[in-house]
Amino acid sequence: MIYRIWYFIRETVVSLWRNLSLTLAAILTVGISLSLVGTSLLVREGADRATAQFQEGVEFIVFMNADHTPDQDAAIRQVLDTSPAISRYAYIDKLAAYEEFQVLFVDKPDLIESVTPDVMPPSYRIVPSDPDAANVAELARQFSTQPGVREVATATDAIRQIEDFSTRVSQVLLVAAVVLVAVSAMLILNTVFTAIGARREEIEVMKLVGATNWFVRIPFMLEGMIHGLIGAGLAIPSLFVVENEVLSFFQESDVVPLFRGFAVPDGFVWNTSLWLLLLGGVIGMLGSAIAVTRYLDV
Amino acid sequence: MIRLESVSKVFKGDVTALREASAEIQRGEFVFLVGPSGSGKSTFIRLLNREEVADSGRIMVAGKDLGSLSSWRVPYLRRNIGCIFQDYKLLSKKTVWENVAFGLEVIGRPRPVIKRQVTAILELVGLSRKADRIPDELSGGEQQRVSIARAFVNRPLILLADEPTGNLDPTTSVGIMRLLDRINRSGTTVVMATHDRGIVDTMRRRVIELDRGVIVRDESRGVYD
Repeated sequence: MIYRIWYFIRETVVSLWRNLSLTLAAILTVGISLSLVGTSLLVREGADRATAQFQEGVEFIVFMNADHTPDQDAAIRQVLDTSPAISRYAYIDKLAAYEEFQVLFVDKPDLIESVTPDVMPPSYRIVPSDPDAANVAELARQFSTQPGVREVATATDAIRQIEDFSTRVSQVLLVAAVVLVAVSAMLILNTVFTAIGARREEIEVMKLVGATNWFVRIPFMLEGMIHGLIGAGLAIPSLFVVENEVLSFFQESDVVPLFRGFAVPDGFVWNTSLWLLLLGGVIGMLGSAIAVTRYLDV
Repeated sequence: MIRLESVSKVFKGDVTALREASAEIQRGEFVFLVGPSGSGKSTFIRLLNREEVADSGRIMVAGKDLGSLSSWRVPYLRRNIGCIFQDYKLLSKKTVWENVAFGLEVIGRPRPVIKRQVTAILELVGLSRKADRIPDELSGGEQQRVSIARAFVNRPLILLADEPTGNLDPTTSVGIMRLLDRINRSGTTVVMATHDRGIVDTMRRRVIELDRGVIVRDESRGVYD
């Protein structure tokens, strides 16, 4: 058995090395497609979570101090109810804020334990009549000076923070693009058909001397699996990029309400990464199994 | 060891490769298949190795009915059958040793066994001193010896040879035939398709002659025609 395992490992490594440019092409293709899969998963999850705070046109949130006085609260309400700049608003009391906090940070039990409903700031979620960014910023400024107000969070604030992150990630993407160009060049240089031809002869001989189909298949399936796993490995960093891309989309859109917390918890990203690895491995293995089956009936 | 009962094989385009062929080959026999090109010799051999499946009739090889043999069992059948060809089918990037060892490796033999058997078979075919060469560095006769070594290293019950001397000069061919004769004398059944009149007439073994897919002659100690 040990000899067989050694044989499979050796054949797989040799084949990966021999078809290096093909290998890279396969890995990149897998990487790109899995990035898209991961993106769609993250977008869905992100959207689900983000709408918890900023939905239905909410542009900014006025967070009250946890110990604000009823008078201060009444003053805020007075403005909200009468100002023509405010379309509508919703009040989130301490308990509701706490419940939401639990949902948003479900993957961070330490954080949840560290707070109680008492310390949660109640807040007003406000839909302005005019969602223009400058207008929102001006409204936010006015509210932030009101007594009893702890802070005002606008959707755009959150977006800028993530934009910075996005810039850094795009630098990484640039490096990746350079790698891609290099890989393309290698692909052109490679004698693809020679490599396949050499392998086909080997398969023919293997069949001739009585190697089982599985014996022929396994090194290829391992090879495919490695393509898939590495490709998935490449796709994982892209998951972290996704949030920014989606956010800027929402930022530029007048139809879709701006989100503040379009952040997917780390746990979800890693969870998704594991799924991508599994998916990549299975895709690679099945793909190569189907491909090699074509040559098995020599 | 081998039995064909009314075996027919027709390829696409109504090309009849074999028609109602019946023959029985005993263990340890040496049989020449002769006939013009396209007479069905290669098909005969490919049917025995189950590279092709008969359209009708029954083929028994080493106690197995090939018609009802499930495809996952085919590899195990082939471990009892060695095959050599006109073009050797050696792997050009592997050494002589690796080519022969490959035949054992891919059927999962442990390395010490491979080492022992490859050493012994290279001794038998007279290539011990060229174990580290690659096929391109060898003469045609030597390459065919490597191919024979690979086919015989697992001590198969049957050796199928499709024009093994087709690319070789007469002197080299005699050497190859001596080797096949020696293998045959160790008890291995040999079935060899050939065009080589000289070899058939010299060896005087059983001759099965095919003509357009029909067995027209089957005589022991026969000649080419």
